Amino acid sequence: MKIKTIDLIMAALFAALMGIGANIAAFLPPISGVPLTFQTIIAILAGAVLGSRIGTLSMVVYALIGLVGAPIFADFSGGFGTIFGSSFGFILSFIVMAFAVGKIVETAKRPSLPVFIFAGYVGLAINYVIGTTYMYGALNLWLHSPMSYASAWVIMIPFLIKDAILTFVIAIASERIYRSLKRPTPTKKHAA
Amino acid sequence: MKLIIGQFVPGDSIIHRMDPRAKLITVFIFVFIVFLANNPWTYGFLLAFTVLGILVSKVPFSFIYRGLKPVLFIIIFTFILNALFTRQGDVLISAGWFQLTTAGLKQAIFISIRLLAIIVVTTLLTLTTSPIAITDGLETLLKPLKKWRFPVHEFALMMSIALRFIPTLMEETEKIMKAQMARGVDFSSGSLVKRGKAIIPLLVPLFVGAFKRAEDLAMAMEARGYRGDVGRTKFRLLKWHGRDTGLLSVLAVLTAALILMRG
Repeated sequence: MKIKTIDLIMAALFAALMGIGANIAAFLPPISGVPLTFQTIIAILAGAVLGSRIGTLSMVVYALIGLVGAPIFADFSGGFGTIFGSSFGFILSFIVMAFAVGKIVETAKRPSLPVFIFAGYVGLAINYVIGTTYMYGALNLWLHSPMSYASAWVIMIPFLIKDAILTFVIAIASERIYRSLKRPTPTKKHAA
Repeated sequence: MKLIIGQFVPGDSIIHRMDPRAKLITVFIFVFIVFLANNPWTYGFLLAFTVLGILVSKVPFSFIYRGLKPVLFIIIFTFILNALFTRQGDVLISAGWFQLTTAGLKQAIFISIRLLAIIVVTTLLTLTTSPIAITDGLETLLKPLKKWRFPVHEFALMMSIALRFIPTLMEETEKIMKAQMARGVDFSSGSLVKRGKAIIPLLVPLFVGAFKRAEDLAMAMEARGYRGDVGRTKFRLLKWHGRDTGLLSVLAVLTAALILMRG
């Protein structure tokens, strides 16, 4: 597998942005109510802007630097111990998400707003299916706190509703960011 | 500052000075051998190994507690659940539907020790080893995968770059946020949709800035002759000492003890 230098760095920077997005709420002036995390939007953008291959790579890097101890998962957590936590599935789902969104945007010849909205919701579905299933597995297999699959989903419903609304706004944002990033820069023009 | 250091607590204990490869191997094996324990003796060994690790590392207990906090609730919950719903052995306390049996208490203690041991030992790795050192260790350990064309070097480099740029991008995020707030963007009030929309003027310049930075860095690296790991030398060299062999020997003894003593 050969990776171009620029792709390597882009993947690394997206992984870093993921880490910031996860905890951005902590930097915003005091927030009341719903906690915001921008991980979903950045995972979607990674797929859309970097493509399925490099986008996936960057999410793998994000998961890895979190595992080696940088506190870049939600709530400033990190370290190998997080694998055993109940929310590690969401971290894994970002990898699949970036890949799926990348594939969708790559397939569309000229990605327009509906494509981004569709990709966003596919991403959200992947996010919750993998995340909730992992939580269910973690609770039953090694945390020994048996819980039915249905009640695992019931816990997630409030978050799902919040994210379903946000994904719509986020899809609009992704389209805008996608446009501003795809604008040719001196080096890109040169390469083309 | 918190983010730059991460979980890592700088120190000079023997565990801090150990080779990251030795610590990585130990943690990976430990996570598996934990499941060998099935009686008081073997769980005692696990607990002893864990406590010894904490004492030798000289990491203040508050840091270990911080690592445990996210799972502490689950451990307590598991403990109560197992204690109450195992109905075997002699009854210790009984009041109405509430019943605590010896088997239930034993089961609850064992499972809690298992969870605690796994989490404390894995946390101890990231508490005593900097992320960069772990990345270096992983790169060396995973080198054999290169035969199957797995980009080990590229992954290690991406991890190092990401770790290096988190503080920089964080600063940039704060700067952009202040700049946009000065222009009247309201990040902290309004409905969910309104707040979602407010992040657009934050994210667009952040991503555009990151892209520019990436291009500059790529150009700088290529201008200095970067071409993957072909003939690359290292600034930080890993050295295997006696203490690293010692750690693996202790682990081997623990494994043997667990296999011999399990019922």
